[in-house]
Amino acid sequence: MKHWLRRQRALADYTLAAAARRKGKNIALVAVFSVVVFAVASAMFFAAALRTEARAVLAAAPEMIVQKLTLGRQEMIEAEAIEALRAIRGVAGAEGRLWGYFYDRINGANYTIMVAPAGEAAPAPGHVRIGEAIPKARGFTYATAPLFLSRHPGDLQKFVVDQTFGSESALVSADLVVMNEADFRAFFALPAGKFTDIAVRVRNEREIGTIVEKAARVLPEARFVTRAEIGRTYEKLFSWREGILTALAGAAMLAFAIFAAEKASGLSAEEAREIGILKAIGWDTRDVIAMKLWEGALISGGAFLIGTLAAYGHVFLAGGTLFAPVLKGWAVLYPDFPLTPAIDALQLTTLGLLTVVPYTAAVLVPIWRVASADPDRAMR
Amino acid sequence: MITLQDVAKFYNEGRPNEVRALEGVNLALARGGVTVLKGPSGSGKTTLLSVIACMARPSAGRVAVAGEVVSSLPERYLTELRRTMFGFVFQRFNLIRGLSVLDNVLLPSVPLGGERGAVAARAMARLGALGLAEKAQMPVEYLSGGETQRAAIARALINEAPILIADEPTANLDGHLTGRFLEIVAGLKAEGKTVIMTSHDPRIWGAAGVDRVAVLEDGRVGAGGA
Repeated sequence: MKHWLRRQRALADYTLAAAARRKGKNIALVAVFSVVVFAVASAMFFAAALRTEARAVLAAAPEMIVQKLTLGRQEMIEAEAIEALRAIRGVAGAEGRLWGYFYDRINGANYTIMVAPAGEAAPAPGHVRIGEAIPKARGFTYATAPLFLSRHPGDLQKFVVDQTFGSESALVSADLVVMNEADFRAFFALPAGKFTDIAVRVRNEREIGTIVEKAARVLPEARFVTRAEIGRTYEKLFSWREGILTALAGAAMLAFAIFAAEKASGLSAEEAREIGILKAIGWDTRDVIAMKLWEGALISGGAFLIGTLAAYGHVFLAGGTLFAPVLKGWAVLYPDFPLTPAIDALQLTTLGLLTVVPYTAAVLVPIWRVASADPDRAMR
Repeated sequence: MITLQDVAKFYNEGRPNEVRALEGVNLALARGGVTVLKGPSGSGKTTLLSVIACMARPSAGRVAVAGEVVSSLPERYLTELRRTMFGFVFQRFNLIRGLSVLDNVLLPSVPLGGERGAVAARAMARLGALGLAEKAQMPVEYLSGGETQRAAIARALINEAPILIADEPTANLDGHLTGRFLEIVAGLKAEGKTVIMTSHDPRIWGAAGVDRVAVLEDGRVGAGGA
C-alpha cells in the first residue's frame, strides 16, 4: 500500500510538472470544459431548486380543490356545495375560496386578487396586502403609495397598502393582491353565496380517491383537482423546461466531446514520442495510463469544481440570470425570489458522470493505443 | 550475459515499404566490459540496440538475457527488464523538454515507487559525479550538448541497471567531450557495468577501454574484430 501510494504520488508529481509545460493549452481546455459543466449544472440546480420550492408551496395547499364546470369552463360555485362536501365522511373541512384575475391595462400585467384565507386576519375595508412585483410594475415612488384599481363597472377604487410581501414568498405572492371578502365582492360585483372554488381538507390523504368518488356523486358537474395532480403538473412543467436547457447543454457537451476526442486522437508526434521514451526507460502501459488519468483528473476535476461552483453562484446567489427566462417562464410580473439551494449527492454524481467520464474516456483510448505499442514503435 | 540467435527484425513486414533492418544476427555479449557496434548508416545498429534492450521484439530468432529467453515474453516482463537491467542513452538523448534535469533523471524511478528523498539523493549523487549537480533544477533545453549527454547518462543509471546501452553517444560532441565520455565509460566499467554502444567515431572504436568491436553491415554482424 505504501509502495502504491508513493508510486501514485510520484506519478502525480510528474503529471503536475508535465501539465505546467503546456500551461496555455491546458488552461484553455479547463476554461472550455468549465463552461460546459457550468451550463449543465446551472440547468440541474435551477430545476431542482424550483421543484423544491414548488413542493414546499404544495405542502401547505389543501388536498383537493373543487371547481364548478359549465360547458367545460370554470364557473363560480354555490355555497351549498360547501355543505355537501363537509357532509362526506373523511372530509375534515371545506372552505369556499374567493380569487380571480385582474388585467391591469396600465402595464399589461395580470394580478391575482384573493380574499385572505380562513384563519388569517383579513385586511380592513379599503386596505390590501400586495406582492412585491406590483409596486415595481406600477412604478411606486414611495412605500406608502396607495393602489388604484379599475373596478368591474369601470370606476377607480383606491386601496391603502398595508403590507408588501417579501421576496422569500415571491414565487407565490409576486402578483398577489389580498383584500377582505366584502371588498372583493364589491370590486368584482360578485353576489353573496358564490365562490371561485372550494378547498377541501381530508382526514387521511390515502383516502382521497374514495372521497373524490363520493364527491363526484354529490356534485356531478364539478371538477376535482387533487394536490398530487397539481404536483405532477408542476413536475412535468419543470421537466419540460429543464429538458430544453439540458438539450442545449447537451449540444454544448457534444461539441466539447468532439473537441476532446479530436485533441486526444490527434496525439501530437511529440506526445507520442514522449510516451515512447517513458516506456523505453521502464514505464509500462499502466504507468502511462495512470499518469494520463491523473492529468485527466486534474483537468476534468478542476473544470468540474470551477463549473459547479460557478453554477451554484449563478443559480443561488445571482438568481440564475442567464437561464431564468427559460426555466421560470415569461411574465410581466416576474417573481424575483432567491432560490433555496437544493443539491444532493445524486445530482453531483450525475453531473460528474455526464462531464468527467466522457472526457476521460475520450482522452484515454488513444493514449492506450500509443502506450500499448513497443517503445521503439511509439518513438518512431 | 546477452545472446542473440538468428535474430531478424523487419519493419512494415509484407508491405511494399518493408525494411529488413536485421537478418540472421548472432551475437554473444559477456557480463562486464565495453562493446562497440560499428557500421554505416542504415546498417541496423539502432535496431539491434532496441532489440537487445527489449524495446523492440525481433521478427524472428531468440534473444536471451542472463540465460532467460526474453524475445517471447509478454510486455509486462519486458518492462520489468527495461527497468531493472537496462539503462538507455538515446542517440538524441530524448530528455523530456520543459522538465528540470533532476526531474528527467528521476523519471525511470517513478514506476518503482521508491522513497522520494532517497531516490532524489541518489540522483543528485549521480549528477554530482557527472559534474551536473549545480544544473539539477535547470530545464534540460538550456543544457549544452555535453551536459545533455551526461544528464541522459545519469537518467540511464538512476535505477542502478547493470547494462548501459548508448546509441551514438558522441555523435554531436567535440573531441574534448568525447574524451570526457570515454572517462565516464571507464568509470562505469570499473563499477562492473556492461556497456554496449554504437558509434561511427574511430576514437571510440580505438579507445583503450573498449573490449570488443562488432561490425554491422546490411543488418548482419560481420566478423568484426575484438
